[in-house]
Amino acid sequence: MNLFIQGIGAVTPLGPTALQTWLPLCEEQQAPKRLMANAVADRKYFACMVPGKFVSEAARQPRLRRSGTISLLGAAAGFDAFADAGLKPGGDLSDRIAVVFAICSGGINYTRRLYHEIVTQGANAASPLLFPETVYNAAASHLAALLDVDGQSYTLVGDSSVGLSALHFATELLMMQPELDRCLVVGTEEADWLLSDAFASWRMATNQDRFEVYGRTYGTIFGEGAAALLIGRTGTLEISRSSPGLPFFSVRQSESVAAELFGNLLIEEPPEMIVSSANGTFADEVERKVFGRLSPLIPVYAPKPAVGEALGASALFQVAVAGLALRHQQLPGTLCAGFKLPSVNRETRSLVASSALVTCVGFNQQVNAAKLRLT
Amino acid sequence: MQAVGRQHRVLVTGMGIVSPLGLDLSSNLRSLVDASDAVAWVRNFDVTKTRCKTAAQIPDGCLEDALGRRRSRLHRGARMAGMALREACDSAKGSTPELIVVGTTSGGMSFGETYYRRLLATKSRKGLARLVGNYTPQKSILDALEANRLRIPAQIVANACSSGSNAIGHGFELVRHGLRTCVACGGYDTLCELVFVGFDSLQAATPEKIRPFDKNRSGLVLGEGAAFLILESEQYAVHRGAMALAEIVGYGVSTDTYHLTQPHPSGIGPKLAMQRALESAGLAAGAIDYVNAHGTATVFNDATEGAAISELCGRVPVSSTKSMMGHALGAAGAIEAAFSVLALSEQFLPPNINFVEPDPTWKFEVIGNNSRAARINHVLSNSFGFGGTNATLVLKSV
Repeated sequence: MNLFIQGIGAVTPLGPTALQTWLPLCEEQQAPKRLMANAVADRKYFACMVPGKFVSEAARQPRLRRSGTISLLGAAAGFDAFADAGLKPGGDLSDRIAVVFAICSGGINYTRRLYHEIVTQGANAASPLLFPETVYNAAASHLAALLDVDGQSYTLVGDSSVGLSALHFATELLMMQPELDRCLVVGTEEADWLLSDAFASWRMATNQDRFEVYGRTYGTIFGEGAAALLIGRTGTLEISRSSPGLPFFSVRQSESVAAELFGNLLIEEPPEMIVSSANGTFADEVERKVFGRLSPLIPVYAPKPAVGEALGASALFQVAVAGLALRHQQLPGTLCAGFKLPSVNRETRSLVASSALVTCVGFNQQVNAAKLRLT
Repeated sequence: MQAVGRQHRVLVTGMGIVSPLGLDLSSNLRSLVDASDAVAWVRNFDVTKTRCKTAAQIPDGCLEDALGRRRSRLHRGARMAGMALREACDSAKGSTPELIVVGTTSGGMSFGETYYRRLLATKSRKGLARLVGNYTPQKSILDALEANRLRIPAQIVANACSSGSNAIGHGFELVRHGLRTCVACGGYDTLCELVFVGFDSLQAATPEKIRPFDKNRSGLVLGEGAAFLILESEQYAVHRGAMALAEIVGYGVSTDTYHLTQPHPSGIGPKLAMQRALESAGLAAGAIDYVNAHGTATVFNDATEGAAISELCGRVPVSSTKSMMGHALGAAGAIEAAFSVLALSEQFLPPNINFVEPDPTWKFEVIGNNSRAARINHVLSNSFGFGGTNATLVLKSV
C-alpha cells in the first residue's frame, strides 16, 4: 500500500509556516535565541522561541483562548499542512480523517505553574483552569475540535524520536482502515526554563548560546514549534518506509541499534540525502559512526542548530525538511557543524534527488528512521 | 508499505495485573469475587488541603524488589509495569511479542514532582539527574521491557483515561489486520500529587466513598496499577499450541470535542464509541451480556455513559470496578479489559460496590455490592477520557 505526504506544515522560531521556515533555512539563518531565567534558581538558558505573532491566528480561535502554547503551535502547523495540500478542513473531509499527535514534555509551562502553586500555596490554591491543559492529549483534542473530527484522535508520547513513531502509527491506521482517507500527524513542543534546567542536570542541555553538531558534544539548546504532515493515499511524495523504532537500554547499545535500523534503509536503495537528528548530545556520535561506516558519501543535513531541539516536534520537522528538500531539490547547509563527519552538508546547494532518509536517535527511548521517495 | 490482507481472529493468550486489589491475576480475581474495597487514606503525599483524602494505592513494600534489587531505584511505574508484563508473558507460555502498545497519562510524574520540590528547597540540581532520566512516560516501559528481556518497539499512547483501551484496541487492530501476529498491550499509571490535586481542583474527586451509577454519586477517587494482555492471531496461537483466555472481537473510538473535560450532555461520545465497537464486532447490542463501564462516579460521566448504555443496550447488567480500586487513569482501560477477561473465563459478574440507591433515569441493572455467577459470552468495556477520547472494546468467551 502506497502512502504519501500531501501537505507539509510547520511553525518554528524561523517562520510561521513550513515554506517561511524553509527559505531562511536555505539562507543558513539561525533562529534568534532568548535567554530564559527563573526565580527558582539563578541559572539561565538560551532557547529558540516562536514569536507570538506566528500563532496569532490560532490564538484567535475561541477554543484556544486559554490553551497552552503547545496547543497553539500544533493548531498553527496543522492548518498550514492543510493549506499546503490545497485543502480546507471541515465537512466530509473531517469525517474521513484521523489526528495523531507526537508529544514529549507536553504542556510544561502550565504543568510547572500548577505544581508551583501546589507546592508554594497549598493544594487548595491549584487552578482548575491549568490542570486540563497539562494533560498530554489536550493539544490533539483542541485541534480535533477545530477540524470537527469526531473519530480517531491519538497522542503518542516519547522522546525526540516520537514523531517518527507517530508517523508510523498513522500509516498503520491508514493501512487498516479503508474508511479513512487521511491522517494528520502533528508534532508539537514548547520551551521552558525547567526543561532546560532538568536536561542540563542530565548533561543533555547546555547553558551556552550555541551548540555544535558532529563536533564537541556539550549538550543541546531547546527550541519550540510544531510540524505537521497530512498523509493520504495519493500524491508524489511517498513514505516508502517507516518504523515504530527500536529501543536501546543504554547509550552503549544505541550505536548497534542505530546500525541495525539505519543499516537496512541505507544499504537497500541508498537515499540521496540524510536529514539527521544531531543536536550536540551523544546522538551525534551514534549517527556519525553509523553514517561514516555505512554511507560515507551521502550528504547529511542537521536542522537542529538552526531551530533548536524541539523534542516532540523535532522528528516530524526533520521529515518536513526532507520533504521540502525533495520538493525544491535543494539541501540547506548545516550550521555549527564540527569536523567529525566529513559528509555533513555545510553549504546550501542544489541537488538532483529522489529519496531522503530521516534518522533519529532519541534521548532515552528509541532509534527510528523513515524514508521518503519522490515518485 | 505492507498491504493489509484478510482479517484474523485475535486471542488473548496471556495476561498480567498489578492493582490495589492484588499483585497478580489470582489475587485480583479473588478481590473481584469478594467485592473488596481497596480505597484508603492517601499515604504518599500531603492531603490536608484537598477535599478528597483517599485513593486506592499499591503499597511500596510490595514493589521494592519486584524486578530485583538492581532495579529498586526505578520509578514505581516501571516496577508495576514490569511485574504485570512478566505475569502476562509467563501466562502466555512462550509467546514472542513483536511490539508493545502501552497507555499511560502521567508516566513517572512523581519523580518530576520530587525534582521540583528539591529544586525549590535547595536551588541545586545536584544528584537529580536520575529523576530526570526516569520520569518520562516511555522510560518505565523501557525498564519493564529490559527487565523482561524484550527488545521490541514500544508505542506509548497518552489519550488521557482511555489510553489503556486505546492501546489494547490498536494492538487488536494490528493483529486482526495481519500487520502483527503477537502484540503485548496494556497500560500503567501511578498515583501522583499533581494529578490528584488536579482532579480535586476540578471538584471531580469525592470526599466520600466512590459510588458509580448511584443516584447520589459525588465523584471519583483515584487508583493506580498496570495490566498487560498478550494478543495473538488465532493462527499463531494454534501453531504454538497456546491456550486462549478470551477473544477480542471489536474496538470503537470517538472524539467528543464538546469540551476538554466535560462530555457532551447527550452522551453522543460514549454512544458513538460503543456503536462503532459493536459494528467492528459484527454484533447487535442485544448480544452484550455485561458492560464493564467507565463509571467514574462523577455526575457528568455517569449521566452521559448511563444514557448511552441505556439507549443502546437496555437492561444489561453493568458494573464499574472503579468502585473497588479507584480510577487508574491510563491503566484503567487495560485493567478493566483484564477484569472483563476474568469475568468471561470465570463466568461471573464483578460487582459495583458502595451502591445504595439506583438512579431511575437508566434502564440497566447495576450489579450492586456483590459479585454473582452468570453465563456471559460477550462483554463490552468502556473507557472515556479528558479531551473527549472515548474507547470501547468488545470481548468474547472462548
